[in-house]
Amino acid sequence: MKTQITIFKAGNPDLNARPMIQLTNIDKIYRTKTIETIALNKVNLEIERGEFVAVMGPSGCGKSTLLNIIGLLDSPTSGELSIGGQQLNSFNNKKLAAFRNFKLGFIFQSFHLINDLSVVDNVELPLLYREGVSGSERRKRALEALEKVGLRARTKHYPSQLSGGQRQRVAIARAIVGKPEIILADEPTGNLDSQMGEEVMNIMLNLNKTEGTTIVMVTHDEHMASKTKRIIRFFDGQQIN
Amino acid sequence: MLKNYIKLAVKVMMRKKYYTILSLLGVSFTIMIITVFTSFIDQIIGENSAEPNRTHTLILDKVTAYNKGKAESGGASIHFLKEHLKSLQSTELISFIAKNSYVSFQNQKPTGHMVVYADQNFWDITKFNFEEGRPFRAKEVENASRVVVINIKTKEHFFGDSDATGKELTIYGKHFKVIGVVGAAAPFSMAYGDMYFPLSLDANPNATMGSITGNYSAMLLARSSDLQEVRKELRSRMRLLNNKISGADSVKVYAFTPLEQFAKSSSYDDQEPEYGKTAIMIFVILLLFMLIPAISLINLNMSRIGERAEEIGVRKSFGATSSTLVGQFVVENVILTLAGGLLGLALAVYAANVLVEIINTFDPLFKMPSDTLAINWRVVGLSIFSCLIFGLLSGVYPAWKMSKLDPVFALKGGQNND
Ligand SMILES: Nc1ncnc2c1ncn2[C@@H]1O[C@H](COP(=O)(O)OP(=O)(O)O)[C@@H](O)[C@H]1O
Ligand SMILES: [Mg+2]
Repeated sequence: MKTQITIFKAGNPDLNARPMIQLTNIDKIYRTKTIETIALNKVNLEIERGEFVAVMGPSGCGKSTLLNIIGLLDSPTSGELSIGGQQLNSFNNKKLAAFRNFKLGFIFQSFHLINDLSVVDNVELPLLYREGVSGSERRKRALEALEKVGLRARTKHYPSQLSGGQRQRVAIARAIVGKPEIILADEPTGNLDSQMGEEVMNIMLNLNKTEGTTIVMVTHDEHMASKTKRIIRFFDGQQIN
Repeated sequence: MLKNYIKLAVKVMMRKKYYTILSLLGVSFTIMIITVFTSFIDQIIGENSAEPNRTHTLILDKVTAYNKGKAESGGASIHFLKEHLKSLQSTELISFIAKNSYVSFQNQKPTGHMVVYADQNFWDITKFNFEEGRPFRAKEVENASRVVVINIKTKEHFFGDSDATGKELTIYGKHFKVIGVVGAAAPFSMAYGDMYFPLSLDANPNATMGSITGNYSAMLLARSSDLQEVRKELRSRMRLLNNKISGADSVKVYAFTPLEQFAKSSSYDDQEPEYGKTAIMIFVILLLFMLIPAISLINLNMSRIGERAEEIGVRKSFGATSSTLVGQFVVENVILTLAGGLLGLALAVYAANVLVEIINTFDPLFKMPSDTLAINWRVVGLSIFSCLIFGLLSGVYPAWKMSKLDPVFALKGGQNND
């Protein structure tokens, strides 16, 4: 673990000079016995450190697939991926898990909180998989993260006792508790009404502005997308702008 | 990490009550059966406060005399034992005992009593707890004094709550003075008796001079833990008798501890016990006991993978490796089975009492003491060990399966987020 922590440390000038996220000729093909789906087709994409980009496109065009590949949850069929300047093709599963833990934070459309855990336990979760973080340290950082999303008063609640907007804010707290450099959000406002969506969007904008967190957000909402600095449009597995 | 696993395990158990109750029932029933079974075996072979030397006390209870190709087996005669078991190097103490039974009537109701004739060494090889009085001494054995030591069950039968020491007990129309009261020995032990008399009071006709077989057994307290030494010495003693003893060309004696005797039940060698086979047999029996409930728990766990897919996906997204997830799910399962095991232990205490009562209704004459299947720490230890094995057996495979879930697929689990 110790060596990995040094590998992932930010501030290495060589690594910082390169784009935060770089996809080169990425293909993703799903093969079943009968059909072959090309989910991503020769995608070339660069996202700079500190950028907030929106990914848009019709349903089934490969947005989630793109996010899962950037999130190291899925591997491309071919092509090269580098994150934080690091080439990841040679990483084994254990290293990938540690990389996700240190570098990435996920926000999902349907929140994906663990219902058996209280709000604060949900938020602590990423720190569980980080060596050398004591229980009290975990708690402290989880409470700080909840403070940032305005849910300091709901720590002992369970997800089922919260509204959709509150749940998504808990999910954001969970995504930022480990201070990742990149947040990947797949339709974070898709299940929320416009007011709650607005709140969630503002938290992310603020995060990007104050902490410089790189954010990639998939959305169907033109209004939300317009608040970001760049919109990447997809159609049929290909970038079209 | 472990603390978090335990915390989560408890939460999951509380949340999924139906699943928890079902699993707990299965596990506790299994552990109950295993516990009663092991406490039964423990009574047969294990050391206890009355017999702390049991694992190195050999019981010589079989003699075979070969005469012109014919073999005659049985207990030993007291004469044979006294003559040929003198001053063995490998033993510290030897005691000769014979067992008999006696039926007393009270208000025309018969009660059976296990009668033991023993010498003074018997009380040194065993370490009975004397609730009252004392054992009989060498002088009393020599002089055939009319004294008797009774166990607590017999005391209650004849004297109720009052002290028995100094009182008279009339058996076979003769009067004996009660000099001591002891706790009950394990009922399947050679040392179990309701009444203990000095050996010299035994009017057994088999004690005639010259004959080899008879009613007697010997208890041999070995000097070292190498019990084969004792048997080697016995064999060399018996070789000296070849063609030298009247009534037989050669003689063989069999001396084993209860544990060895138990281990011999699956061995072919009649000279030495073979532990390996018995250990395997016991292990197989235990596994069989656990197999069916373990398989159903595996099934139950497998059927819950879908239910927990989302959680697995989330944990993997945030950096859990497959091995940490295996750890988490195995710990959860072990905690569940341990909880079931503790419940099973409690049930076993109750079940053991019921079992003794049932046995006693089948054999109303010789009643087992009610605390016969008392569950000691050794048995508790083994039950908890079985429980751990059970938890691992039923937990590892589903945990491994769960941990291998693809995170993207797991996050979609039931819900398509398009
Ligand atoms: N596991 C899979 N197996 C087969 N096809 C898949 C799988 N996941 C996604 N696809 C297909 O890949 C394409 C892109 O999917 P996705 O990235 O989820 O689209 P989006 O998020 O833009 O709606 C779709 O046609 C979808 O059906
Ligand atoms: Mg999608």
